[in-house]
Amino acid sequence: MVNGTARVADGVLESDSLLTMLRERLDLPGSKGACEQGECGSCSVYLDGVLVCSCLVLAAQADGHGVLTVEGLADGDRLDPVQQAFIDAGAVQCGFCTPGLVLAAHDLLGRHRDPSDLEIREALAGNLCRCTGYEKVLDAVRLALARRSR
Amino acid sequence: MTRLVRSITEMEGRFEEKWVLVSDDEPEAWASDRPLAIVGHETPRTTGPTRVSGAARYTTDVSLPGMLHVAALRSPLAHGRVTGLNREAALAVPGVRAVLDSTDTLSFRSRSGPLYAEPEHAGALLAVVAADTLVAARAGVKALALTIDPLPFVIDVDEAFRDQRIDGEIAEESRGDVDAALAGADVRVELTVETPTQLQTALEPHGAVGWWTEGELTCWVSTQGIFDARSELAKRFSVAPERVRVVADFIGGGFGAKQGAGVEALLAVELSRRTGRPVRFINDRHGEQLDAGSRPATRQTVRLGATGQGDLVAIDSEVLTSFGMTGWRAVNTPAMTLYRCANARGVEANLKLHLRQGNAFRAPMVLEGVTAVEQAMDELAITLGIDPLDLRRRNFVDVDQPSGLPYTSNQLLACYDRVAELSGWVGRDALLEPSEDGLLRGMGCATQIWWGGGGPPSHATIRIGGDGIATVVTGIQDIGTGTLTAAQMVAAEELGLPLDRVRVTGGDTRPNVYGPVAGGSQTSPSVLPAVRGAAAEVKRTLLQLAGDVFEAAPADLDLVNGRFRSSDGALDEPYTEVTGKLGNATVDGSGMRGANPDGMRANTFGCQVAQVAVDPGTGEVRVEHVWAVHDIGRVINPLGARSQVEGGILQGMAFALSEEVAFDPTTGVPTNAWLDDYKIPSIADVPAMTIAFVDVPDTALNNVGAKGLGEPPIIPTPAAIANAFRHATGRRALALPLTRARVVETLA
Repeated sequence: MVNGTARVADGVLESDSLLTMLRERLDLPGSKGACEQGECGSCSVYLDGVLVCSCLVLAAQADGHGVLTVEGLADGDRLDPVQQAFIDAGAVQCGFCTPGLVLAAHDLLGRHRDPSDLEIREALAGNLCRCTGYEKVLDAVRLALARRSR
Repeated sequence: MTRLVRSITEMEGRFEEKWVLVSDDEPEAWASDRPLAIVGHETPRTTGPTRVSGAARYTTDVSLPGMLHVAALRSPLAHGRVTGLNREAALAVPGVRAVLDSTDTLSFRSRSGPLYAEPEHAGALLAVVAADTLVAARAGVKALALTIDPLPFVIDVDEAFRDQRIDGEIAEESRGDVDAALAGADVRVELTVETPTQLQTALEPHGAVGWWTEGELTCWVSTQGIFDARSELAKRFSVAPERVRVVADFIGGGFGAKQGAGVEALLAVELSRRTGRPVRFINDRHGEQLDAGSRPATRQTVRLGATGQGDLVAIDSEVLTSFGMTGWRAVNTPAMTLYRCANARGVEANLKLHLRQGNAFRAPMVLEGVTAVEQAMDELAITLGIDPLDLRRRNFVDVDQPSGLPYTSNQLLACYDRVAELSGWVGRDALLEPSEDGLLRGMGCATQIWWGGGGPPSHATIRIGGDGIATVVTGIQDIGTGTLTAAQMVAAEELGLPLDRVRVTGGDTRPNVYGPVAGGSQTSPSVLPAVRGAAAEVKRTLLQLAGDVFEAAPADLDLVNGRFRSSDGALDEPYTEVTGKLGNATVDGSGMRGANPDGMRANTFGCQVAQVAVDPGTGEVRVEHVWAVHDIGRVINPLGARSQVEGGILQGMAFALSEEVAFDPTTGVPTNAWLDDYKIPSIADVPAMTIAFVDVPDTALNNVGAKGLGEPPIIPTPAAIANAFRHATGRRALALPLTRARVVETLA
């Protein structure tokens, strides 16, 4: 299951990562590959509800499991509140790291009702961004939290 | 009415006189005190939804039927001679379609390489393999079974200098009599500092997809300059530029390293031409960190002479740059321009080393120069017992000294005042009191100078049709800076339409509307005046049409926030009452950036203050707060501008604290060319940041009053941090970054 739909991927090699399968076989290039070593977090997806680096998961390991990618976060045209907060706070520059950061922030908000600044930093420390300086990413998470508590 | 005029253009301090097309109808600059409805107000970026939803397509996401993937074989040695490559074995790997190495005659011209038999740096391309899948291409690279003989190499600065391995001439510029002035100075300081090799590390690596079809060439390139890429491809492959289309809808960062087409595009096109298939060549991270360029390391010695009151009488700067085999020289720019001084000299040499050629990285060379000069100024202030900010104010200069020309605008003194006020600068010595946590705290400052005035040529067109949507066409590419959003804002402002009635495009050469490379902080001050010119022409026509529809005098009408209004208020109608009658017709306008003012220099200025906390036990340095105030003329979008500054500060902080390529001295090979061992900052490292602008439009420069902002914010951060470290500890580390080992050694 990928983003709520049963998918069959053709031509997947034994050595292919989940990231490669999503990008090259299932036409879901929203998840990005920037290091292929689990350092940058750009490839973050949910696997059975757990945030993983899809470059470190074999495609075969996802067989029969549920995957949620950035493409599956919005409800049709309605963006997820975390996505909207990233736009409104100006947390997006080049945007290459954004899918991973959005999912990591979404995961944090799903696990924590009211995370402290330290907990936000801890949760997002595995997602590298080279443009923004992260200040607006912190703003985005705080904005999403504030909107949720309203 | 358009005319061709001779005009001086500037790119990162390189001046050139050329013919440029200008318009007599260009709007007057917005007056400084004129209230604007959209410009100057926080605006989320136009492509936000596309980017957060994963729908944005970067070059690395382009996938075409039958597309081949490329893997690269790179030199494992700093210098060597290839003795064996088993091409047959690689071609025998299932799925492999083509192999190229240095023995192939390529269909494009290249001065050297791009595939080497005798590589002169670790990571140099030796061969590329194209295959149906990336896995097969990588298997093909392995099957090549490279054998390579090592050759002698030099990466050590002292060894290279001793052997006089110098690239070309040693550059020297000077004014006055530096030696006499130094000898006669009341006070002298001398400081030698080293700066590290820093890697751009854009999250999207360099890459391209090339597709050669019947003499037509389409190329998706992760580039900062689509028109430069088009020229390069057309010239190298001997095709007319009109038959080359370069597309870069979304670019995952560049920071200077992604100029022109790049070797990835050249080889992708070559392979496409040979195989008849589209070809994608994206660097893997290791290849990117080894062979996509760097900010080269420097060793700089700065001598300052001053009067007892703190007036500079001599500046003397000597620079050795570890550029690779060749490079350019600009490290001495700050020494020659930053402060008023009648006697100044800059000597600069590039050492020929077996390193990957350095290239542009955000404020190339000027960041390095400021890092040394501003630390020397700090030492001078300490020696004189003068407040470091007062010393800088005292030596403020309002002309560009090498040329003798005045600046179009210079708000540096206001930057000093504002940053002092925001940071509580005058009370900074209170930080020196012993603290409960045992950390040593201090505060330091540094000044920023950079060009960033932009200039011609830069063009834009705007078309509005029956649906009332105005489409702005530009030839710029948004590498993450938000310039397309700024273009949308300027167009909406001038047209008098709501923001959501304006769409803006870029990143494609096909419309043939020229825009400059995203470099030198020139995009906004170049393209925004052109956008405004195009919008003014469309608006003039719309007012005339409104006169026809409403039977009013066009001169008596205005278009404000999407409504036509007469000066007496009697008429107040939605603009769609006019555009709705266009049917399939369109109203078009075109605009172009005017010439820069004669006899002036356009520069950006700023000042940053940093506060650090040093753990003397572990050597850990944490930046607690950075205050930044910059003069970039009119601020178009405060939201985007602050984000630019935050990102610049963080990259500058990393240059000062953690980023450094380490080399194995026995092989000359970088030992940390990955992301797990080359430390770029994460969100856990972010200091508090306070950012402000001296928001005074530069009305002499262009019709929107904006200067650029890409480079400025990274420039003063490292020196401000180094000076804060000096304030906190009483010691100066003679090399950056301030790693724990270096700090412990410095404090011992």
